[in-house]
Amino acid sequence: MDLIYLYCVIHKAPELKSFNKSLGFYSEQPVMSEVESSRGINDMERLIDGPYFIYHQGLFVLVSRVRKDEFGEENLKKNLADLEWIEQRASIHEKVIEEVMKDTCVIPFKFATLFNNEDSLKAMVEEYAEELKNNLNNLEGKEEWGLKIYCDIEKLKGVLTQKDDEISKVDKEISSSSPGKAFILKKKKKELLNTVLNAKLNKYGQNSFEELKELSLQTSINKLLPKEITERKDEMILNAAFLMAKDKVKEFISRVDNLKTEYSDKGIDFDCTGPWPPYNFTIMEKA
Amino acid sequence: MEGVITKSKDVTLLEILDRVLDKGVVISGDIVISLADVDLIYVGLKVLVSSVETMERLRGEPFAGAQEEPT
Repeated sequence: MDLIYLYCVIHKAPELKSFNKSLGFYSEQPVMSEVESSRGINDMERLIDGPYFIYHQGLFVLVSRVRKDEFGEENLKKNLADLEWIEQRASIHEKVIEEVMKDTCVIPFKFATLFNNEDSLKAMVEEYAEELKNNLNNLEGKEEWGLKIYCDIEKLKGVLTQKDDEISKVDKEISSSSPGKAFILKKKKKELLNTVLNAKLNKYGQNSFEELKELSLQTSINKLLPKEITERKDEMILNAAFLMAKDKVKEFISRVDNLKTEYSDKGIDFDCTGPWPPYNFTIMEKA
Repeated sequence: MEGVITKSKDVTLLEILDRVLDKGVVISGDIVISLADVDLIYVGLKVLVSSVETMERLRGEPFAGAQEEPT
């Protein structure tokens, strides 16, 4: 037996012509409501079987058949501890959704949303059909973009030590003080620097966010990720997502570029990515 | 357009953890990844302890990275 893996839901017939064959789409059969075919299921070479659509309640649900020994509860738990597996599988999840996104608006599901069979998948679609359709209507013609702001803390500290009047004043005092007094002043400087630094970071993050928010319809501020995950030397200071009308995207990108230039000498860097499937802007109240 | 990535060629681990695994519609299918399972992902990253600590710290104070002072 195998399981049904759900990628995303769309509401108009997909144009399969553009689908990337390497991802295993079946361009000959645009819509399949039943899955009985010999392909894939016993094909050990293909780790995730090619995605196909199930049409139900006016919605096209993109799914794959996956093996129970890979995605069944026990094995899934094991696999979730395997970083390489996650990277590979989650990349497929993302790439498959991005292919569909080229044609139409999508509702992306979370990685590893699994059903035992088509009936239970259809039952879910029935339950959420209205909400899914509302979301699709809301997301039509819009794109999600991500912005992560990073700060090279040491660099900014250096800049502040030179530029901030109060800090440079203490700095000067230190150089002309006795060792004992200098020790106290150094401590004072350290505290002052941290206060100023925090205030500046808040201000830079806030201002950049506000400026980009003007162009967008919805925003989401997400949790900051540690260096182990970002694999960067600098610290993440803002992690945000923006939903905007497609015709605003160009201006959004140019504003990010301007911010990048404006802040480059302060050790602040902007990482802007998109368009993403609207992971951050699908609201399912019943779920 | 320097520095602005228009659709990343490769989906980075960062984006996987930030989006694919963390966001998207969550409707309980027949198999549910619980919060505990998601923690396993961090075991996979071998940074469970450090990341949880960092997350806590960062969540408490949005820009707390600034307060880390190497001594």
